[in-house]
Amino acid sequence: MSKKFRRNRIELPIGPQHPSLKEPASFRITLEGEKVVNAVIGVGYNHRGLEKACESRNYIQDLYLIERVCGICSHTHSTAFCQGIEELAGITIPRRAAYIRVMVAELERLHSHLLWLGVAAHEIGFDTMFMYTWRDREKVLDILAEVCGNRVNYGINTIGGVRRDVDEAMLQNMSKMADALESQVKYYLDLALTETTLSARLAGVGKLSYEDALRFGVVGPVARSAGIAYDIRVTEPYAAYGDIPVDLVTDTREDVLGRTVVRIKEMLVSLNIIRFCIKNLPDGDIAVKAPLRIPAGEVISRTEAPRGENIHYIRSNGTDKPDRVRVRAPSEANWRGVKHMLEGGYLADVPITIAAIDPCYSCTDRAIVIDSGSGTEVKDWQSLRQYSISWYKKQGIDVSAVKIPERKYY
Amino acid sequence: MQTENEIVEKLCGEFGFLQDKIYVQRQKRIFTGFLAKEEFEQVLHYAHDELGFYRASHVVGTDEGGDLGFIYLLSNEDGIILALKEKAPKSDPVINSMTDIYPSLELHERELVDLFGAVVEGLPEGPSYPLPDGWPKGNYPMRKDWDPKYFDRNTMTYNPPAGGAGKEGGSK
Amino acid sequence: MGLLQRAIEWGTRKSPWIIHFNAGACNGCDIETIDALTPRFDLERIGVLQEGSPRHADILVCTGAVTLQTRDRLKQIYDQMPEPKYVIAVGTCACTGGIFDGCYCVMGGIDTVIPVDVYIPGCAVHPEAIISAVQKLLDTIGQRKKGEDRHADRK
Repeated sequence: MSKKFRRNRIELPIGPQHPSLKEPASFRITLEGEKVVNAVIGVGYNHRGLEKACESRNYIQDLYLIERVCGICSHTHSTAFCQGIEELAGITIPRRAAYIRVMVAELERLHSHLLWLGVAAHEIGFDTMFMYTWRDREKVLDILAEVCGNRVNYGINTIGGVRRDVDEAMLQNMSKMADALESQVKYYLDLALTETTLSARLAGVGKLSYEDALRFGVVGPVARSAGIAYDIRVTEPYAAYGDIPVDLVTDTREDVLGRTVVRIKEMLVSLNIIRFCIKNLPDGDIAVKAPLRIPAGEVISRTEAPRGENIHYIRSNGTDKPDRVRVRAPSEANWRGVKHMLEGGYLADVPITIAAIDPCYSCTDRAIVIDSGSGTEVKDWQSLRQYSISWYKKQGIDVSAVKIPERKYY
Repeated sequence: MQTENEIVEKLCGEFGFLQDKIYVQRQKRIFTGFLAKEEFEQVLHYAHDELGFYRASHVVGTDEGGDLGFIYLLSNEDGIILALKEKAPKSDPVINSMTDIYPSLELHERELVDLFGAVVEGLPEGPSYPLPDGWPKGNYPMRKDWDPKYFDRNTMTYNPPAGGAGKEGGSK
Repeated sequence: MGLLQRAIEWGTRKSPWIIHFNAGACNGCDIETIDALTPRFDLERIGVLQEGSPRHADILVCTGAVTLQTRDRLKQIYDQMPEPKYVIAVGTCACTGGIFDGCYCVMGGIDTVIPVDVYIPGCAVHPEAIISAVQKLLDTIGQRKKGEDRHADRK
């Protein structure tokens, strides 16, 4: 691979091992001084050959496989899959099951957004907030463990409904958790909107205009932060979302600060949805019987994952094994936008820009051929992150100056 | 706000060959049958330019026996999905890239090259995706006649029994 | 056992530094591994520190069924770690390949590429199990006889 030395250009290969992102990915960034002029992104060390495996297993076995496409948004993948099979089989799940699916989906959105908030704070050097948000996240995981039986990979869905019911005690705990979490989330929103050190790091970074966001087909909070009102819970309500008022959160900032604000506000919306479900949970069964052999047909099933629109395409052939399963997870749609966001920005902003789309590499399934040995400086993620923190310190922005008061909650 | 039926009517009015090949599956879902390359491109351009299908979510590659299938999922601002299908024979699986209109399709079209053996002309330069380095050429895992149990991961070679692997299912 | 050796083992036992690598996981075990470092479970209280570079680490905490893309990188990271080094395989996929065993891009568990000292099954692994595994590993350090090969049964 030839490299051109024009003016002060250097190429930085980063990854696939880097401690901050917890997932393998490679980036090849071309710099001119401090500015990024080109970015080649290779994600997808997680390509496992899952879709081929789906074709040789039956639908119930595939449910467990599909759930493990991603550990953070596992419920939306299994919901999308179950919905698709239920549509092919022509069965309707009971209302109670639909409400339980919504409750678990919103709990998942809460834990995922808190996780993201912590990771983003960590990327800009704000480790205190990382610890705070992950401590709050434990409350959500406790509820999930109580309702579903596991903290991660919940396994609550089955074809035809859900596997476990919720009782009065669980609903009360959920309600208490929602109240406790609300004050924390409102505090994070206040922090994002008013704390000048935070906005100095996040505002103007990773800009993606409304027109570019449409052109690159981004989804989720990235699209909503550019003003695009696109949320599958509102566009095509599934499960019980047709009965539930969902506030669509958008922002006009078009940058990382906008994405932060959108995610925090979405957490408040999720808490309201959970409260609505608790109050209006209908009685009845939690599942209907589903056939083993699914009639031939094809279906496109969509859900709104924490990261955006999640699409499953399933084709059946009348047997107990699917003919074709294709998962298009939301992060796949956002990667093209990242390349555009990185170019023109500073090297110091690379970690937070990439983190701001909330990438989920195992949802993405890609691979890269990186030819190292080009003789350029090799930085790993940790040193890139340190570089970004010290670069901003020189500009006078030190996020460790933010004071976080101790709060009491249950 | 156009309904699904209005969109189908407009498309059929513009393209006679779509007459029996397009149907409304349910609310927000329009499916077509498999179209040849030239017909497909005409419909796609019309859908993008005239009908407001501004977003391309994905391309699903399929194995249709003698052909390779490509299902483009386009959507408009009302959330209606138009599943536009293209086919190309396995003996000459050449299609044109749609990334000049829909840049988001780049990596999805690249996947078709690795996993199905399609030839996508006009794709921007970039690394192959998603298979690893050293993957044996001519092996397209998502085709129905390729069976993972004959693939040796240590030597990276594919050794089917004499007579081909056939369409066996239920290996694991 | 010489004084230097004893000092190194005392340092590792009292404050092991870990490096985390995702070899193709779904991220479930990864987020539970990071969870073990956050306030509720807090691995740091037993001296565990997460490091960025393999050259500074004592323990490699690895998740995921090894994919064909990551196996060379995994080997490189293991080779870059200085002795004495230990490997913990976190999760069912890291132990045996789990639910992905047999997929065309999956080698199997971590031990198809590098020797493993501790296996933690689970999907996803509970942070308390990770703490227990680290504790068990630390107890075995310093109890080995001189010249004993930890991985003799693999040959």
